[in-house]
Amino acid sequence: MGDDWDDERLLSALREAQRARQLVPQWFIEGGQSAYAWHNIDAQLAQLTYDSSHDQDLESIMRSARTRSEPASIRALTFTSARLSIELEVTADSLIGQIVPPRHGTLEQESGDGEIATVSIDEIGCFCIQPVPDGSFRLRCRSEDGIDVVTNWFTL
Amino acid sequence: MRDDPSVIALVARAANSDQDAWNEITERYAPLIWSICTRYRLKNQDIEDVGQNVWLQLVQQLGKLREPAALPGWLATITQRECLRALTAARRAEDAGTLDDALPVVDAEIIEQEILAAERNAALRAALLELPLRCRQLLAMLLSDPPCSYAEISATLEIPIGSIGPQRARCLERLRRSSALTRLGAGEMRVNLPGGEGHG
Repeated sequence: MGDDWDDERLLSALREAQRARQLVPQWFIEGGQSAYAWHNIDAQLAQLTYDSSHDQDLESIMRSARTRSEPASIRALTFTSARLSIELEVTADSLIGQIVPPRHGTLEQESGDGEIATVSIDEIGCFCIQPVPDGSFRLRCRSEDGIDVVTNWFTL
Repeated sequence: MRDDPSVIALVARAANSDQDAWNEITERYAPLIWSICTRYRLKNQDIEDVGQNVWLQLVQQLGKLREPAALPGWLATITQRECLRALTAARRAEDAGTLDDALPVVDAEIIEQEILAAERNAALRAALLELPLRCRQLLAMLLSDPPCSYAEISATLEIPIGSIGPQRARCLERLRRSSALTRLGAGEMRVNLPGGEGHG
């Protein structure tokens, strides 16, 4: 490289390289390093494939259909992996989910500060998290027959 | 740079349970992910989520990347996708009145420039590490902001002021011949030089 770069240019490029690195906070680098803990873990990544909030027409229909007597389903999301999907409904006071195809297991809710709360998944694949998670979190579902799936981090 | 053998080797080592290689990958490319997130004007909380999601996808793809050498471009694509996802979610949480606004579009050319800059910057940082300690000390003082005076450099490194200039030239020449910068290739260095147009 850079036979066509004089010393001043090279120094200014080095300065720029340092500046770009210094702009990145250490917590961001460390977050990247810690992601390696997931290497060789069989958990499959479940990607967000449906979010009712991306579908404004649907949501406005749901809103207008809301009645005072029943808690309205205000948002629905689906995370999909190769072996199973996790369907979620956000209500006023809880996050209700179902594993498809249904299976028994446990569900871990990991929050951004590393805290993990565990709830059980019943035989028809349903679980309930209360209250609705505040801030970013991800869900990891482990079924009794050995399927292990983790969602992306997301915020409701 | 797109066939940079060092990236291929790092990916292969990381796929083979080498945490050091993984750390080097994150050290090299975190600035690229960060810069794209700031192009999309994400808040820190969202940047954290985007970063986690991008790294997690990379961890899971390590052994399956079709073109490991194209890692920077792959990371940029995934990062943009996650940025848009985060923006959509953030927008939903805000006033519904803003929902009709189009999501910001970051020009593909800007992203391409960020990729090139990230590759160049990573090569320059790696090149510095190849230099002997004395050169690294001298360049660190010259690169500090504000730059140290020749008098300070002379006092700290115990070299005569008159030999700082020649040593500086020798160190920079070694830097040009470093394997990290040789790999970067002359073609990449001619485009998007820093210091010309404003960055960021």
